[in-house]
Amino acid sequence: MPHIMVVDDDREIRDLLGRFLEKHRLRVTAVRDAREARRAWSNGHYQLIVLDLMLPGETGLDLARWLRGVSDVPIVMLTAMGEETDRIIGLELGADDYVPKPFNPRELLARIRAVLRRAGDAPAARHEAGSRPLRFASWTLEPARRRLLNPDGAEVALTGGEYDLLLALAERPNRVLTRDMLLDLLRGRQAGPFDRAIDVAISRLRRKLEDDGRNAQLIKTVRGGGYVLAASVERL
Amino acid sequence: MRLHLWPRSLATRTAVVLLAGLIVVQIAGLTIHAFDRMDLQRLEAAREVAIRAMGLYRAVVMTSPAERQHVLEEIHHAPGVSAVISPTPPLGGMPELSFRLQRILRLSIILVPLPPNLRPHDFRMLGGAGYPTTVVGLRLPEGNWLNVTLPAPSISPWHSPAFLTAFILMTAVAALLTLWAVRRLTAPVRTLAAAAEALGRDVNAPPLPEDGPTEVATAAAAFNTMAARIRRFVQDRTELLTAIGHDLRTPITRLKLRAEFIEDEEQQRKILADLAELEAMVAATLAFGRDAASAEPVSPLDLAELLRTVLDEAGDAQPELADLLAYEGPPHFTLRARPLAMKRALANLVANALNYGGSARVRLIPPVSAGAAGRMVTIEVEDDGPGIAAAELERVFEPFHRGEPSRSRETGGVGLGLPIARNILRAHGGDVVLANRPPAGPGKRVGGVKATVTLPG
Repeated sequence: MPHIMVVDDDREIRDLLGRFLEKHRLRVTAVRDAREARRAWSNGHYQLIVLDLMLPGETGLDLARWLRGVSDVPIVMLTAMGEETDRIIGLELGADDYVPKPFNPRELLARIRAVLRRAGDAPAARHEAGSRPLRFASWTLEPARRRLLNPDGAEVALTGGEYDLLLALAERPNRVLTRDMLLDLLRGRQAGPFDRAIDVAISRLRRKLEDDGRNAQLIKTVRGGGYVLAASVERL
Repeated sequence: MRLHLWPRSLATRTAVVLLAGLIVVQIAGLTIHAFDRMDLQRLEAAREVAIRAMGLYRAVVMTSPAERQHVLEEIHHAPGVSAVISPTPPLGGMPELSFRLQRILRLSIILVPLPPNLRPHDFRMLGGAGYPTTVVGLRLPEGNWLNVTLPAPSISPWHSPAFLTAFILMTAVAALLTLWAVRRLTAPVRTLAAAAEALGRDVNAPPLPEDGPTEVATAAAAFNTMAARIRRFVQDRTELLTAIGHDLRTPITRLKLRAEFIEDEEQQRKILADLAELEAMVAATLAFGRDAASAEPVSPLDLAELLRTVLDEAGDAQPELADLLAYEGPPHFTLRARPLAMKRALANLVANALNYGGSARVRLIPPVSAGAAGRMVTIEVEDDGPGIAAAELERVFEPFHRGEPSRSRETGGVGLGLPIARNILRAHGGDVVLANRPPAGPGKRVGGVKATVTLPG
C-alpha cells in the first residue's frame, strides 16, 4: 500500500483527506507545516507528497525545493485557485502535478494515482519530463502550463482529461497504453460512463491534432484495447 | 431652434468667433488703407495738373500778348489736353476743387521761375471725384484767362492686383493659423472627454498627462485625483470580495471531503452539486476581483478549437444537454489573446446561453476580408430561451445584477458571468452585446437571445 504524506495547515482537511485516501487503499501521514514534514520525512518512507503551497511559516514552495534536494519523491501541489505563478514555479521546481483548491477529492485521487503510476518509471526520466516541453510531429506540449501548441505556435485548448491523456501518451511514445490505464486518468473528472469518455477524448484529441479518425497516424488504436502515440518525442 | 446655425463643437465656435473678428479687422484695415490711398492719389493728380497747367501758362505768358493765341495753337498737346485763351474764367457745371488741392496749384505758381509781374494773379481749379476732366483757369497779366482742360487720372483704391492677392493670401494664412491654434487649444478638452470615456470602460486606464497650460494641467490633475478615488473605491470592494472568496476555499474543501463520507448516494450527489455551484460562485467572485485578464500574457491561440473545447466541457458537465450544443465556423482560427481569460469569457457566455436559454449554438465568423473594417472577428452565441426584456439587455452586464425573476436563481451564479465576460473582452479591445433574435416561427414571441462578441482579428 503506497504511503503518502499530506502537508496542509488545516486540521480538518488533514483528517478528512487522510480518511478519504485511506478509504481508497492508500496509507496516509498528515502533517501541518514544513517543520513537521521534515521530521516525518526522516522517520518514514513515502511514495508521494500532497503539498499545500499556502503554509504558515516556511512556504510550500520552499518545502518542495528542499524535498527536491533530498529526493525524487513525486509531489502533487494544492494551489490557490487562479494563482498561476505559484503553480508554474512549483512545476518548474519539479512538482509532478497540481490540483487547485478547493479541490474535488476524487480528482485529487485520480491525480495521485496517475502520478504514482508514472513514478514507476525511472526517476531520472520522470524528472526530465517534469516541466520540460515535449515535442512530437511539430506539436509542443508544455507541462508547466498544461497547454498544447500547434506547429504555428498557437495554443490549442484542451480539456483537463484530454491534456492528461495526451501527456500520458507523449511520455511513453510508441508504447501501448491500455484503456484501463487511460480510464484511471479520466476518473474523477467526468460524469457519465468512463469507457465512452475515453473514446470521446481520443477522438477529440485526434481532431485537435488534425489526425484523421479513420486513418489516424499520430494516435493509433491498438486492437484489443489500447492506444499508442506513433511519433518520436523530443524533450526540449 | 434659436441658434440653429450655431455650431455645436467648442473648436468650431471659437474658430467662427475668431475668424469673424479677423474678417472685420481686415475689412476695416483694407477700407482705411483704400481711403488713404485714394486721398494720396488725388493730391498727386492735383500736383500733376498744376504742373502741366503752369507749364502751358509759362510757355504762353513768356510771349508777347499779340502772339499768345498763335503760340497756343502751335503747341502740341498731350491727348485729352486742350487750352484756350478766354476773356472769362472757366465756367462749366463743375465744382471748385477743395482748398487743400488748390493750395498745390498756388504752390506751383510760386515755384515756377517767372518774373513776379508775369505770375497769374488769379486762378480757378474745377473738377473732383466723378468728373473725367479737371479744368484750370489762370489769369493772364492782361486780364483774360488761359483755361486748360486736363484729363483727370483715374483713382483706384488698389495699388495693383498683386496687392489684393497678397492681402487675400495673408488673410487665408491668418485664418489657417487661427484654426490650427483653436484645434490645439481645444485638444485638452477632447483629451479629457476621451479619458473620462476610457475611465468608464476601464478603471485602470492610464492617467492624463498633467502638463500644458495651467488651466489644462489643473483640470487634468483634478481628473486624475477623481479617477484615483474611483479606483480606490473599486479596489476596496474587489479586495473585500477576493478576501471572502479566499476564505471560503477552506470550508468548501472540507465540505467536499465530508460529502465523500455520506452513505446516502442521492444526498451525496445533491451536496456535491451544491458545492460545485458554491465553488463556481467563489471562482467567479475571485475572477472578477482579480481583474481577470490583466496579469496573463498575450499569446496566439486557436479560437475555433477554444470554442469547441468550451462546448465540449459544457457537454461533459451536463451530458443530457450535449446534443443542444453546436459549433459552426472554420476548423481553425488563430488570434492573439490571453488564453485563460478568453476561455473564461467564452465559457461564461456559453454557460449563460445553456442556463437561461437551454441551448448554445456558437458561430465563429472570421473577418470578411483582410484590412477591411478594422478586421473584427465575430462570435455569436445563440440560445432558444424566452429572451430578455429589452430594458434588461444592457443591465445584465452590471455586476451582481439579478435578472428578471424568471431568470434569477435556479441555475446558480452570482450575477458575475456576463460582467466578467465583458471585462475580459473589452480588455482585449473587443466587446459583447446581447440581443433578442427575431422569432423563428409565427407562434413564438421571440427567438431566444444572441450574444455577439467582437474581437480585433
